[in-house]
Amino acid sequence: METLEKLQILSGAARYDASCASSGSRRENTACVIGNTSRGGICHSWSDDGRCISLLKILLSNDCVYDCAYCVNRSSNSVPRASFTAREVVDLTMEFYRRNYIEGLFLSSAVMQSPDQTMERMVTVAETLRLEERFGGYIHLKIIPGSSSELVRRAGLHADRISVNIELPSHDSLKRLAPQKGKQAIIEPMSLIGKEIRHSLVERRTSRCAPRFAPAGQSTQMIIGASPESDFQILRLSEGLYRKMSLKRVYYSAFVPVNEDSRLPVLAAPPLLREHRLYQADWLLRFYGFSVSEILSDDAPNLDESFDPKTAWALRHPEFFPVEINRADYATLLRVPGIGVTSARRIVAARRFSVITPEGLKKIGVVMKRARYFITCSGRPFEKTDRQPALLRSRLLPGDGGAAAVTEQSGQLLLPGLFV
Amino acid sequence: MNRYLYDGTPEGLLAAAAFIIAEEADPEGVSLAERENTLFEEGRFIAPDPQIAETFFNRLRREAPDAASTFYFFTLAEKDGLDTSLLRYLALSFRYGDRVNGNLTHPAVRDVVTISRKVSRELHRFKGILRFEKLRDGAYLARMEPDHNILQPLALHFSKRLRAEDWFIYDVCRRTAARWHRGVLQLGAIEQFTAPALSEEEKKIQALWQGFFRSIAIPDRRNPRMQRSGMPMKYWKYLTEQPGGSINRGRLKQ
Repeated sequence: METLEKLQILSGAARYDASCASSGSRRENTACVIGNTSRGGICHSWSDDGRCISLLKILLSNDCVYDCAYCVNRSSNSVPRASFTAREVVDLTMEFYRRNYIEGLFLSSAVMQSPDQTMERMVTVAETLRLEERFGGYIHLKIIPGSSSELVRRAGLHADRISVNIELPSHDSLKRLAPQKGKQAIIEPMSLIGKEIRHSLVERRTSRCAPRFAPAGQSTQMIIGASPESDFQILRLSEGLYRKMSLKRVYYSAFVPVNEDSRLPVLAAPPLLREHRLYQADWLLRFYGFSVSEILSDDAPNLDESFDPKTAWALRHPEFFPVEINRADYATLLRVPGIGVTSARRIVAARRFSVITPEGLKKIGVVMKRARYFITCSGRPFEKTDRQPALLRSRLLPGDGGAAAVTEQSGQLLLPGLFV
Repeated sequence: MNRYLYDGTPEGLLAAAAFIIAEEADPEGVSLAERENTLFEEGRFIAPDPQIAETFFNRLRREAPDAASTFYFFTLAEKDGLDTSLLRYLALSFRYGDRVNGNLTHPAVRDVVTISRKVSRELHRFKGILRFEKLRDGAYLARMEPDHNILQPLALHFSKRLRAEDWFIYDVCRRTAARWHRGVLQLGAIEQFTAPALSEEEKKIQALWQGFFRSIAIPDRRNPRMQRSGMPMKYWKYLTEQPGGSINRGRLKQ
């Protein structure tokens, strides 16, 4: 088979993996002949689905012995099968990298014969890149559930980021849709990776020569909408992963039906808006100081489709507002709908020089569309703040122009600051 | 209000700023402009002085490193007519140090920071979307048409990344080029540019990248609007992957 054909099969099979981040690692190692990584990550292109391309994202093989219901590569599907040799992947990565197409490699794989045999071959690719080619660019390795801890350790020594996919948000769903992937086989490598990362950080505090272990941390991914879990369950799981396993990112991937299977729901379209809302809530957990219990509860277990989760929270908590722009602390500013990390930082920096006026606020670059209903400037409100909640809701509902267009279009959250 | 003039070069500007900040009690009350050499132009001309300019800029780098890099990016924007804003910005940088960039309600600071931010954003973008092609002699060539004069910082980025290769980056609009040859970086003007022949394997590698670019997109999630917001169409000219090819064909191929 020609390389081009293989590449098309194996990138087409890898495209349902959401992660393409190249951030979080900084390698300016002179021992490497080619390549470095940039802490903020670099996007190299944007594909027709609007997602950024940063890494050469491919599977080593799509020839799978497992038969997971949701997966395009499951063994019972009659799709064209292909496998790369380690050398082919290494050559592609190097040729693409020299032409500045990519930041590095994202390598995943179907389970060929066994988890260990597959993982061994994937680790070989990373080792060849680092040791033979002396490649200093970004490498993201997927860990095959069930691989031995020895292979996980070898992966972490050469990759910038490693990840184990949770796939489905509950044990039951996993048993039903991916019977060959056990919960233990997923959780064990995750906690091992967490332990190794912490260990390496401690070691490096005393010796700069201590080996780095997955310096860009670990991430995971789960499929949204293929199983019945509520947003509350999903976000509680994410919160646990961030707090207990110190994950860098949890990716949510809207379920795209690629198989006919009685175990799967029938959807008219992938739940892109739900995915978008989950990412927004995820951002609230990581950067805005929210906890899941503030966003959702057992009584309201799913995110509001018409409002972003922060606006929804603000509407439920009228007692918190209005917030005085010239006095409120950073954490309070962050709770105002429409004020993000950038705006909050700019407000805090600017008011050290002078009192911020309503015009000044716009000049700083704060978008007033939603914020105007929730703030005062030196005691002066922008809108009547005694507005009834029902009226406020209708004002904030996306209806005229911009907001509606954004909601429909945003299948995926734009990640300010991470890639730009 | 005192009016000062300079010759239009960055050295001239820095020398003028050094003079004014040292001499004037209130730099907010003076203006600075480029000399246009008309007979009736009013104002005091400050001659360019590389020595003074360098000392002044080094002092800025020490006392306000962020402001110094903001100033550097601002100069790459090749924006005319904002000399007074720039002068005031520099004066404020010495007064407040790096905190100055937070003073966005000040018009001069906002002018300078906004433009500087545009340049650094474009620089970051080009670190991603610049495309090299392999030439017959084994060197690599990238062509680009950026809005701002980002050649120097961009070449510095690639000199750390593609150390072992020989390469050129050619700014088509400004007719300037960077050359990395055996570990030495040179910048210069190009009088006449003729596109050199590509290496034999080049088209094959490009076809691989184009194939990857097409198959990595999920057809059910087609979103050309988001694609263009990440990568505006003005930058598509030199992209090997030729985005938009599938827009013309209608539906994405599976």
